[in-house]
Amino acid sequence: MSDVTFDADDVTLERVSEFVWEIPREGEMRVPARVLASEALLEEIKEDKTLEQIRNTTHLPGITKYAICMPDGHQGYGFPVGGVGAMDAEDGCISPGSVGYDINCGVRMMRTNLTYDDLNGRERELVDSLFANVPSGLGGGGIVESGVDTVDEILARGVDWALENGHAVEDDLLHCEDEGMREEADPDAVSQKAKDRGKNQIGSLGSGNHFLEVQRVTDVFDDEIGEAFGLEEDQIVVLIHCGSRGLGHQTCNDYLRKIERQHKGLLDRLPDKELAAAPAGSQLAREYYGAMNAAINFAWVNRQLIMHRTRRVFERVFDRSWEEMEMELLYDVAHNIAKKEVHDVDGEQRELYVHRKGATRAFPAGHPEVPRAYRTVGQPVIIPGSMGAGSYVLRGGERSMDLTFGSTAHGAGRLMSRTQAKNEYWGGDVQDELEGQQGIYVKAQSGATVAEEAPGVYKDVDEVVRVSDALGIGDKVARTFPVCNIKG
Amino acid sequence: MEYELRDHTADVAVAATGDTLEAVFAATADGLAAASRDDEPPSDVGDRFSVSVTAEGREALLFDYLDELIYLRDVRSELPVDNRVERIRRDDDGDERWTLEASARGIPLSEIVARDVKAVTYSEMRVERVGGGWEVYVVFDV
Repeated sequence: MSDVTFDADDVTLERVSEFVWEIPREGEMRVPARVLASEALLEEIKEDKTLEQIRNTTHLPGITKYAICMPDGHQGYGFPVGGVGAMDAEDGCISPGSVGYDINCGVRMMRTNLTYDDLNGRERELVDSLFANVPSGLGGGGIVESGVDTVDEILARGVDWALENGHAVEDDLLHCEDEGMREEADPDAVSQKAKDRGKNQIGSLGSGNHFLEVQRVTDVFDDEIGEAFGLEEDQIVVLIHCGSRGLGHQTCNDYLRKIERQHKGLLDRLPDKELAAAPAGSQLAREYYGAMNAAINFAWVNRQLIMHRTRRVFERVFDRSWEEMEMELLYDVAHNIAKKEVHDVDGEQRELYVHRKGATRAFPAGHPEVPRAYRTVGQPVIIPGSMGAGSYVLRGGERSMDLTFGSTAHGAGRLMSRTQAKNEYWGGDVQDELEGQQGIYVKAQSGATVAEEAPGVYKDVDEVVRVSDALGIGDKVARTFPVCNIKG
Repeated sequence: MEYELRDHTADVAVAATGDTLEAVFAATADGLAAASRDDEPPSDVGDRFSVSVTAEGREALLFDYLDELIYLRDVRSELPVDNRVERIRRDDDGDERWTLEASARGIPLSEIVARDVKAVTYSEMRVERVGGGWEVYVVFDV
């Protein structure tokens, strides 16, 4: 360790190497905490409670190596957003609050063979049609509205259910993590309340930072990987960002409360109630893992239905079949998730619950869990930016397994609070400015949502990606820029 | 009783005050409604419905009350506003047990521009007696 330090009020970070900072172990910390960031990003990260929260995370039982904050980290509840923590699956714990309320919140990208020229002049028509056909906001319903029986099937089978019911093609499954189905899902571990919330929301964006965006590829940084991902400059792609809706939120809270009642002893030793964890091997750990996997399946189906509906919208607007437009799933990533994975810990292969909350899995080339389609180049990683900035496609980097349990950042990361954003921006102005100056067509249910998601409220996504790329945890492949954006 | 929406990087926080525990809980619920909508809700729309919750402690009761309002919002497709907490009672027959009886007016979501507040959290939650009254601080995930 070098003797360079960074002082952030009551926390001093020691520089381990370029972009790697460490909060040394002290007091009740079981392992050190690490922050992967440039000094510019650290200046932003230190402004809220991110550092305190990543340090608190190191108190969780069975946490191995270090708790890690990604370059886009910001304050969350309990575990920071942009946090990665790997707990031993035998004598550690699993923590619902360290997965997040929106289980399997994530992003998928769909390719097309259209170019920006094909779209030019049709943006308004396209954004209106997407907005009219993809449910968003609160109470907007879902693409499929059904009974609890259907919800149970979705929870058990994931995208396989969508395939059987005409909302997917075989190829979609092959380009999704775990082929769109978590085997360990247990629908019975999901409460009736959660299912009741989910049944009217199957195929819906929700609100907040969730969106559907039509984008054009502006840069391909690596031609070989770009080709493997089917990306080239000026191509049109579609990005979908959403999660498991009310079903996932309810599942998280149901288990937080169960843990509070059944494992109070463990909870009382933790510095933040939101870190609530079930000891590995306990009944509740098994139940939560089953319920979380079921909610993961639900979220995959949610994004799948939205993607398939988008194909239909493009068919109407461009008057040709989606197959002709080669609208194929590039990949789907989860950024609020815990998964049992095997990692090297001090030379020993151990099964861990890897919690990624606002962090994306980024497995390198050759890893057996990377889908066959991408195994020789590495797993695609999709990093959504804000409305006025670009998004990125990365691939899992060579050093991710060593540094981050195979993880990288998940987005730009917020800088400004929602209330402050509403004071500084007005939704209508933001919309006019984006359209007039940058040719970005935005349509939203709520003007306040547009203000809260204004480009200025986010960290610089370019800097986040620069750090990921320089560290070798997620390598830059391509950059995209928004053309149409719909949100709740 | 009153509430204020407070700054929080990613989410939204509600700070509320009230003369009684009932009043401060209701003010917090009104804060949740305020965080969920763009404009003042119409005053002449929607019917009242009742809400009752049981929990093992004061903070847990607030958590479950707000969680129940979010659940009812989704399944009824109505935003609960004008929250009234009629009674909070503590029983101590062996185990601590708290019950709450409340009601709210449900405005159909189709009549207003509303946004999804995903969940109530325990993060930084405070329920405190200050002077002669009560103060609450709650962070919601949005």
